[in-house]
Amino acid sequence: MSKRAFELPVLGQSAPVDHAGAAAVFNADVARTDWHDESLWFVREKRDRAAALVSDWEELRERASAIKEHALTHLDEYLTQFEASAIANGMHVHWALDADEHNRIVHGILEQAGAHKLVKSKSMLTEECGLNPYLEARGIDVVDSDLGERIVQLRKEGPSHIVLPAIHLKRGEVGETFHEFLGTPLGMDDPIALTRAAREHLRGKFLAADATLTGMNFAVAESGGFVVCTNEGNADLGMALAPIHIASVGIEKVIPRLEDLPVFLRLLARSGTGQAITSYTTHVHGPRDGQALHVILVDNGRTKQLAREEFWGSLKCIRCGACMNTCPVYRRSGGHSYGSTVPGPIGSVLTPGLDLERYASLPFASTLCGSCTAVCPVKIDLDGQLFRWRQHVTERGYSSSTKGLAIRTSVLLFDRPRLFRAVGALARLGQRIMPRAVVRFASGVWGRTREAPVPPRESFRTWYRRERPDGRRGVR
Amino acid sequence: MTTRDTILRAVRAALPPAVAAPTEYQRNEPPVSSADLLTRFTQASVASGALVLTCHGDPAPHAMHAAGSAREVLSLLPGIASTVATGTDRRALVSLELFVCTSPVGVAENGALWFATPDPCHRAALFLAERVVIVVSASTIVRDMHDAYRAIDVRATSFGTFVAGPSKTADIEQALVIGAHGPKELTVIIRET
Amino acid sequence: MKTALFVPCYVDQFYPRVAIAALTVLERLGVNVDVPEGAACCGQPSANAGYARQGRSTLERFVDVYADYEKIIVLSGSCAVHVRLHAGEIIAHDRLAETAGIRVARRTTEFCAFLHDDVGVAALAGLGARFEERVAVHIGCHGLRGLGLAAPSELQIKPFDKVCAILSSVGGIELAELSRPDECCGFGGTFSVGEPDVSTKMGRDRLRDYRTHAATAVVSPDMSCLMHLDGLARRERLGVPMYHVAEVLAGTAGKA
Repeated sequence: MSKRAFELPVLGQSAPVDHAGAAAVFNADVARTDWHDESLWFVREKRDRAAALVSDWEELRERASAIKEHALTHLDEYLTQFEASAIANGMHVHWALDADEHNRIVHGILEQAGAHKLVKSKSMLTEECGLNPYLEARGIDVVDSDLGERIVQLRKEGPSHIVLPAIHLKRGEVGETFHEFLGTPLGMDDPIALTRAAREHLRGKFLAADATLTGMNFAVAESGGFVVCTNEGNADLGMALAPIHIASVGIEKVIPRLEDLPVFLRLLARSGTGQAITSYTTHVHGPRDGQALHVILVDNGRTKQLAREEFWGSLKCIRCGACMNTCPVYRRSGGHSYGSTVPGPIGSVLTPGLDLERYASLPFASTLCGSCTAVCPVKIDLDGQLFRWRQHVTERGYSSSTKGLAIRTSVLLFDRPRLFRAVGALARLGQRIMPRAVVRFASGVWGRTREAPVPPRESFRTWYRRERPDGRRGVR
Repeated sequence: MTTRDTILRAVRAALPPAVAAPTEYQRNEPPVSSADLLTRFTQASVASGALVLTCHGDPAPHAMHAAGSAREVLSLLPGIASTVATGTDRRALVSLELFVCTSPVGVAENGALWFATPDPCHRAALFLAERVVIVVSASTIVRDMHDAYRAIDVRATSFGTFVAGPSKTADIEQALVIGAHGPKELTVIIRET
Repeated sequence: MKTALFVPCYVDQFYPRVAIAALTVLERLGVNVDVPEGAACCGQPSANAGYARQGRSTLERFVDVYADYEKIIVLSGSCAVHVRLHAGEIIAHDRLAETAGIRVARRTTEFCAFLHDDVGVAALAGLGARFEERVAVHIGCHGLRGLGLAAPSELQIKPFDKVCAILSSVGGIELAELSRPDECCGFGGTFSVGEPDVSTKMGRDRLRDYRTHAATAVVSPDMSCLMHLDGLARRERLGVPMYHVAEVLAGTAGKA
């Protein structure tokens, strides 16, 4: 069983994620941080250009959000409708309450068919469920076939981005990995040559596979079919060749009607990569002749999130990754700093729902700049949800006690204007008369990289009282 | 209680207040001329990485030209002979050099072409072939994905896909590489009447 | 119209020059404002740090002090957004259809938004302001996306920029085009100390964008962003002065 860098969180057993600490390590290499930031900003700019060409972009976002809200608020109906029509289309439908049940179902299907070789296309759900280590421990040969996923799988890492799994790696590092595992020449780091090598290596895996596993971008209740979007053609090769196809999907991915598909498809690739559409947008409405097609509907915490009045909107997510590309914090801390399958703003509102104590730092890994909310194709109010998670973190006592003390002290001062003025005057005086080094030390973390403001002699209030003695101060 | 019932019960207990379904989307924009549609389709198709040819009359000679020296060919286009037999093991198509097919609808906004088939060999060929040629009539090009879905019936076959360009990846340092796991080349032949 | 100017706590203590400039500009434009006492803060810093409950008394006090004003001009985008989003949650004891909190939220605006929407840009030429600098404008995320001071780069809407429209009335000014005009500066309140490395990197990246585009000054409607950016710039001795829009309009920028 391979050791994975990012194990499935085990409730109450793992240390809390320290986003700021991981981000500090990431930022220690300034050149690399710049490179990471610029790589993702490049994608954000491609997204901007693609969106600008769509005259009804904002209306599409509005509709996409409305469709998802409608679907989620009628989820029971659409799930049962999808189930019935999928079965009518010849699919086997399974339900999994959690990651473990999902993994057991997958293994059961493989075991029953005597299948040992599984080729997967990109599925964040199986990452979330920790499927690979589960199957590997049971003797299944699991191959991730998306190029980025294959790279991180060989390196025994988790993906650092939901659409661009290996965005944290440089070509040289990929070259080293391929040299080690695929036998490419040492020092070969040309992306074209590396991609060709992966193609040859994975072609063999596709042809030999006993089964394939894909995710779904959309499951359509009305028709009992689903849509898989890829650029590489890997999901399609798997589906077209393997005798068994397992499609795992989170229950929130069900949309009501076929006519809803174009709304999402016009937004998805443009938001995610800046492409007008992915190379392949494949619709599956039943098994190939002789193929067994299994659909697994997975809850794994989704019904809990649905029940949260303040956070159910996060389930509208279509996993485009745009909020990661635009997030100034994600770009400068890397996906692994979130310690969660889904990183970035959407990860920071989804993952705390699984284990608030462990992920308490994630809602604070944001300046609440709101760029994520504005870029989101389904209009999830990400910054609002981050703000609300912060309140839950502090109420449960998962916030640092120093911060709590500082806040309580400031509130005490703000609520006593006279005391506020007196303390302010004293502090400004102290700051003015003390040596610079002392001030720097006293300003703590702030002062490590920044000067404190130059303290003025008097506050505005003092000036106002003197200069506008007749000024209406509205004292009540 | 089965897992299914447990989940459905949890979903029902969790449902937020109902939000009504939006009405069918009607873009209230002026219609686009067929010449404009063709221009947009061509630009989008090129942007997706496809080679685009236009022909008047029989597309077969153009497809032949695109075929070049390909020896292993599977063709659904009249006038182009297949050199491999369908109905063989799909895995025998692994060295397929060229797959030629037609599409009933092209989408101007993104260059996508619909291809649907009940035949598992044709389905596999679309992804296994080194090069793919798709022929589409200019008259069947629609403005956007909404119109595309009105023009097709995705339920008619168990498999159908919108194809836009050859397979590609940018997973290594965002460098675009054409030809990932699927075809390395896609030629789109637009038949004008 | 009964109008009030709210000077946030940190502006009162650290940047009185900005509040004086804002008051001067409003007075010259004939806007009669009160600067009521009794509310030092709107509660935003505590709330964004996850202590909204603890900061509630502060916001209640704010609502109480400003309840009777028809227009509340806040000298900071992020404070204005906080009041607009959260004052409505304060349940007043009166039995009016509209609670004082909702009323205050609705009537709260920000300095630049007020000048643009209520006074009108045309009137600003009368101020006769001159500023001979090549200016990098930093609107601040809350003013930008929360108040709509400009069209955010993410949205596909007709471009507009109220802050630049205001600054266009200033003689001699030149606006620098930036590579990432609305990228966050990295202040984010407690984020600046909770995530110091990312915060610092974000700020330094803004400073680099200003340098690349040869800006000689930075102008913003939000002093909280500038407190961070200016702190970084002074530590690195970059010599890029930073001013509030009000100082530029009042003609006091750089004349302290």
